[in-house]
Amino acid sequence: MPERSETSRPVPFRGGGFHYVPRKAVPWIGFVLVLTLWQALCSFGVISPLFLPSPEAIGVALWRLSESGAIFSHLGWSLQRILAGWAIGTAAGLLVGLTMGIFSAARSLGLPFVSALFPIPKIALLPLLILWFGIGEPSKIAVIALGVFFPTVISAYTACDSVPRNLIRMGQSFGLSGQTIVSEILLPGAMPGILSGFRISASIALILVVAAEMIGAQHGIGAFILSAGNLMQTDQLLAGVVMLSILGLLISFILGRVETWVLRWR
Amino acid sequence: MKKLLAALCGLMIVAAGQALAQDKEKLSIAALRFVSSSPIFIAQEKGYFAAEGLEVEIKFFEAAQPIAVATAGGDTDLGITGFTGGFYNLAGKGALKVIAAQSREEPGYDFVAYVVNAKAHEAGFKSVTQFPGKTVGITTVGSTFHYNLGKLAEKRNFKLEDVQLKPLQSIPNVMAALKGAQVDAVLLPANNAYALEKEGAGKIIGWVHQETPWQLGGLFANTKVVETRRPAVEKFVRAYQKACADYAEGLLQKDAQGQRTFGPKADELIAIIQKYVEPKPSVEQVKGSASYIDPQGRLLVNDIYSQVRWYQANGMVDKTVDTSKILDLNFVKGHLDLPKR
Amino acid sequence: MEVRIEGVSHRYGGLQALDGISLTVREGETLALIGPSGCGKSTLLGIVGGLLQPSTGKVLLSGKPPADCLNPLTYVFQDFALLPWRTVAENIGLSLMPHGLPANKRQERIAAILVLTGLGEFAAAYPRQLSGGMRQRVGLARALVVRPAVLLLDEPLSALDAQTRELLMEEMLAIWAQQRSTRLYVTHNLDEALRLADRIAVLSRRPGRLREIVEIGVPLSERSKPDAAPALAALHARLWTLIRSEAAEADREVVNA
Ligand SMILES: Nc1ncnc2c1ncn2[C@@H]1O[C@H](COP(=O)(O)OP(=O)(O)O)[C@@H](O)[C@H]1O
Ligand SMILES: [Mg+2]
Repeated sequence: MPERSETSRPVPFRGGGFHYVPRKAVPWIGFVLVLTLWQALCSFGVISPLFLPSPEAIGVALWRLSESGAIFSHLGWSLQRILAGWAIGTAAGLLVGLTMGIFSAARSLGLPFVSALFPIPKIALLPLLILWFGIGEPSKIAVIALGVFFPTVISAYTACDSVPRNLIRMGQSFGLSGQTIVSEILLPGAMPGILSGFRISASIALILVVAAEMIGAQHGIGAFILSAGNLMQTDQLLAGVVMLSILGLLISFILGRVETWVLRWR
Repeated sequence: MKKLLAALCGLMIVAAGQALAQDKEKLSIAALRFVSSSPIFIAQEKGYFAAEGLEVEIKFFEAAQPIAVATAGGDTDLGITGFTGGFYNLAGKGALKVIAAQSREEPGYDFVAYVVNAKAHEAGFKSVTQFPGKTVGITTVGSTFHYNLGKLAEKRNFKLEDVQLKPLQSIPNVMAALKGAQVDAVLLPANNAYALEKEGAGKIIGWVHQETPWQLGGLFANTKVVETRRPAVEKFVRAYQKACADYAEGLLQKDAQGQRTFGPKADELIAIIQKYVEPKPSVEQVKGSASYIDPQGRLLVNDIYSQVRWYQANGMVDKTVDTSKILDLNFVKGHLDLPKR
Repeated sequence: MEVRIEGVSHRYGGLQALDGISLTVREGETLALIGPSGCGKSTLLGIVGGLLQPSTGKVLLSGKPPADCLNPLTYVFQDFALLPWRTVAENIGLSLMPHGLPANKRQERIAAILVLTGLGEFAAAYPRQLSGGMRQRVGLARALVVRPAVLLLDEPLSALDAQTRELLMEEMLAIWAQQRSTRLYVTHNLDEALRLADRIAVLSRRPGRLREIVEIGVPLSERSKPDAAPALAALHARLWTLIRSEAAEADREVVNA
């Protein structure tokens, strides 16, 4: 049939799209573009350095900080406080949260407290924390630990809830003890939820280091940012913010690694 | 016909009203609701601004820093508050001009106290020479308290590095630290210092004015406003000076023994001040925190140079800041303590 | 062992799920429990397995368990219920955990059951790496490794495709021929029941009541032979008329619920 070839044509493609495909180069191009534009606006005097220092000025401030070694002392102090506060808050939060996840009575007891205390801005408690813990390291660590504690509690018991009940029934049907069910089924099953809670609590710890270092700190990124702010040294202030975001990236990278390792069964 | 006349009359009244309103030149000033902002309140309430043909809007802020920022950024035309490291960094960028004086630490007028916690006091910390080796709570790095301590160190020949400074960000935090004996000493404004002494938590061992008198604060204006609306700023300063004179007359008097006295003139001013200051102070509290303000708004000019030098030497103010460029001394006649050149 | 269910009823709050079920699963047989969705089959199995307490009635076990039996009653689940963070061997080993076997005995049992269920090469695989059929083989192996006297199977093939289902039915028949046990097999699939069971108990729609118990005369080994076809077809037709109206009603009920 000769007509067939005349009428036959390829089916037009109408699929594709609406699906996230990471484009490796785009973020870098975007980053460079924004920086260039920012620098240009500052260099040509469109933006006054009073309101927004140029990337160059921030770079110079960072360079000075690393030259003098101050950057490492600030990072070291803050990292120490973040680690200690986060570890304490997380340990206590997991203990309480998992207990609330396992025992109904503990949940009924704890829930009203957690709901009432979670939303309190920890900064509002600074004068009290000073009275309780002094102005040394304990109060700074306490601010971070307190901030980390509540979200950890919540993520721990919701993670327990998210463990499929049929797995627990399965464990019971094979006569596993309560302890074994917790260690073999509940905890590993809650792990993904707990780990994603870690991401949130780690960023909270990072946010709170600035609040923590409001209490008589002479070193630390938060103290540095605060004093730069008080002295209206905006280039220094943004240099401190850059340090903080680099720390944030680092922590999220490490947590990502931990996550892929712990959850390698996924 | 009558109706038309009435309408015309109405129109004329409205037009006249508008003309009057247009006559009044508008200026805005950023201030704290503190007793130290009193001349502004007095000038406003007693109509000194209005008499100069000004309509002044007072915009209130919660902290000193935003006042300088708002004025530098043009949100307000003028500002009045204390001098800090941050202020000089901001002014050094050319956006602000200091034009008249606010409070200063003047011998005989209590304002900021050195307060020692009760335990440390018992243990023998009784003199301002004993600061080395002690921990001292201040609000922030580069605050007036920080500067006071720096100047004290210069005067009493000790090193500021030998004092452990604890920046605690706010006055309530500083007070909490002293109460909890977390720090040996603090620097606090009079009323806070009295409160601590009353509670038995602290002892006042001296006053800044006894050690290092200095120019604590000033009236300043946005540079563009100074350049483009000079006559209006001149009017403002005239009204301000008048209010300063009232303030001095009412609240800064001393009797024959050198004790401060408050006569009938004080009462009127205190009523005005109570209207603006928050939280509303008692009469005694107003008296307690009525700092010295020069009756003519004159600055201790040399002191401002030395403040900037101190901040620069301690790495808190940029080396490029030129003090002469942040001052405009032509609004007030006869500034004090002019640098010899 | 024999399982005797005596007058078992169950309520979930205000919802009557089972009503006065009495039946006996005889030693060594497969009893299929068939009924429309939601009629209480899983509930009954849960009661037999000791996971649920009946509102009234009781379940009795009698007879002697096999010599190497560690756990008289074990479960096979419709959704496999495997631990995703454990390998195949570890998942199977889970049911051995409460019995404190020495490591070598444990390994022996696991190795033997891996061979029996055809999982030998997958011992170190994680569940996500396995097909549905392989996953249910793990579920089966986990239930069998303790040599149960009674095996409770809750729609074990319902989540699988038709071909895999066919393969697994053959395998289960082979295993049952090798390992003696009593089996209570819940399904809503008539063909499955006719292939695997010695007797079929038909439940009504909710609240589940026992409608009838049907004996399938054909021996298990003959079921797939052509000779058996007419007898099975007749049985199929009879059971289907029994179930049909119930299923239709139950279907409507779910929609209205
Ligand atoms: N835990 C429970 N709480 C309340 N109702 C339930 C619960 N489990 C099952 N049911 C209800 O009981 C009835 C029987 O459920 P089930 O035994 O799972 O049925 P089947 O396994 O036959 O599909 C259904 O209507 C179901 O919705
Ligand atoms: Mg079911």
